[in-house]
Amino acid sequence: MMVSAIDDSYLKKRYALLEAKRISDFLKEEPPETVIKIAKFFNWKIRRLSIQEGGKFTLHFADFLRNASIFHEKEWKLVNRQIVKGEVTLTQSEAVRLLEEEVKRHIEKRLQTTDFKLPETIAARVDHLKQLLMLRKGELKTEEMPKTIVVDAFPPCVKALYTAITGGHHLSHMGRLTLTTFLINIGMDAEDVINLYRSLSDFNERLTRYQVEHIAGARGSRTKYRPPKCDTLRTHGICINPDETCERIRHPLKYYQRKLRTTQKPSS
Amino acid sequence: MQPQTLKFVQSKFLEYYQNSFREDALPVSLEKREFGALLFKEKTMVRHRSFLQFGQLREFLCELVPSDVYYSSAYYDNPAADEMGKKGWAGADLVFDIDADHIQTPCGKEHDTWICGNCDFVGKGVTPKECPSCGSQKIETKTWICEVCLETTKRETEKLLDMLMNDFGFSTDEMRVYFSGHRGYHVHIQAETVRCFDQAARKEIVDYIVGTGLDFDSHGFRSAGGVISGPALESSGWSGRIARGVYDLLNSSPQELENLGLSKKVVKMLDEHKNKVLESWKTTGPWNTVKGVGEASWKKIVQRGVELQSAKIDTVVTTDVHRLIRLANTLHGKTALKKTIVPHGKLEEFDPLKSAVAFERDMAKVFVHESPRFRIGDEFYGPFKERKEELPTAAALFLLCKGVAEVVV
Repeated sequence: MMVSAIDDSYLKKRYALLEAKRISDFLKEEPPETVIKIAKFFNWKIRRLSIQEGGKFTLHFADFLRNASIFHEKEWKLVNRQIVKGEVTLTQSEAVRLLEEEVKRHIEKRLQTTDFKLPETIAARVDHLKQLLMLRKGELKTEEMPKTIVVDAFPPCVKALYTAITGGHHLSHMGRLTLTTFLINIGMDAEDVINLYRSLSDFNERLTRYQVEHIAGARGSRTKYRPPKCDTLRTHGICINPDETCERIRHPLKYYQRKLRTTQKPSS
Repeated sequence: MQPQTLKFVQSKFLEYYQNSFREDALPVSLEKREFGALLFKEKTMVRHRSFLQFGQLREFLCELVPSDVYYSSAYYDNPAADEMGKKGWAGADLVFDIDADHIQTPCGKEHDTWICGNCDFVGKGVTPKECPSCGSQKIETKTWICEVCLETTKRETEKLLDMLMNDFGFSTDEMRVYFSGHRGYHVHIQAETVRCFDQAARKEIVDYIVGTGLDFDSHGFRSAGGVISGPALESSGWSGRIARGVYDLLNSSPQELENLGLSKKVVKMLDEHKNKVLESWKTTGPWNTVKGVGEASWKKIVQRGVELQSAKIDTVVTTDVHRLIRLANTLHGKTALKKTIVPHGKLEEFDPLKSAVAFERDMAKVFVHESPRFRIGDEFYGPFKERKEELPTAAALFLLCKGVAEVVV
């Protein structure tokens, strides 16, 4: 109730995560029937295979994806699972791990309700906690991008796109989106980005300007768009020649930050 | 397209929407969909339209007579709102697009021509990135439909359907298969279970179909102490697919194996012991049958096996939850063929060049600049070069829409 009243999305997420972890720790020790019971509370299509069939669980792929698609480990990718007629095979601990995600979202949703009145004494505490939270959040540093553009620190995928465009080569829609969002996010001026596209034979100033400025957040919804993450770039065939640094990051911007840190040793 | 040709094509499209446009095979919840139409002359898209009933939609099409008609795979609370944020997204169908444009076909697209907008240099086959003569990138492509392209996309669609049915458990009733009206097939799934899938979930499905991020180890292909093990032919899901892909590859010509960059020695060994290798599938599989074929070689073979078994879908179409896609029973502006539903379980015998014909009557006189031989219905036409021809309406429209002929008045 107090977390709800403080009404801070970061705090809500942390609290939901903590509760979900507590529940999943407890579920790991429980008999399979309990896991099934709780999963069914969330309308999961889950069943337990007989001992002859290995005693594992099967779960409908929709329930699996809803909870597993944010995981990054290869064993959580659907393509690496056994899936038969819509059912994914799972161990108990895997089922519990997915339930943890479901519980987390369930709690986050419950925390959205602020439709209640707190007694004064508690309201005062909530205000106090709010102030404390503000102080702590101020300490969480956000990483700033340096102002100069360092092409050598581009990840291989963006470098390939950048080389292609400067050489006047055609890029796919996804390629343009990736390159533009990347350059805008590392601090390149919208005008400079537009100029990059100028060498293309099908260059259309009005259209390019509109799209680049939209991505930069100067138009429309005013949100500044971030580049797609590595996983998405792989799906659409943009990811090429991944190197060692790529193995440690999941987002092209992280690659850039990391590379800058390692290559830009103080020069003087 | 000359004015008289445009006028003729539009009059025929109007005739179709007035007399032959049918309601069957249209998407469910028409009133929640956004519609868009591409205009013939202006080549611009009229978007953000919505209709409560089929009759209104037909009226709209008869009024505009567009070259192409699209609808949203998404359901919206306010489909006519002109900003995405105001539409109120309420789920989307799961849609797959298989198009010869994105697939390597055995015909090598020899029938496609391209012309450089800068120096008028003309070429055949896959469009190059830049003109070999002047280096310009202003290249216009004229694609053609060939039976090889259509067969290739059909094979890819069959692989996709197999995965959707056996792995994902969709029933044939839940999947609608359409010929796109040009060079491929669409598969639509409107089931409740898929509607709420977000982009991340759809991306996982795409990766599954294409085999992206597939980890050999997770499917039983491992090497320990010099002994290699791998999946069996009858395994379910991707494990079995890997095995079947490898089987097909080992059963094909040695040239296929050489193309993978395997050494001549390895290819020779596999070829010499072909019978033993194929026989081994009944027991432990081929992984340790031939001496001198090690883990690295098998990995290349497995990788190619995965490529052979994956279905070449357009990854962007499936992951986009706001996509506009061609509406069933409407005409394709490049062919005058209609997007046509394939009856359940009848893909194998489906003949797109017959079933998608939208005009059955009358003849038309056209002047054909250049056209390869082609088929519409049961008849073959061409090749033509700088010739006046009187053709059945469907064949004439096909040439006119392809931009290789003009109407003769």
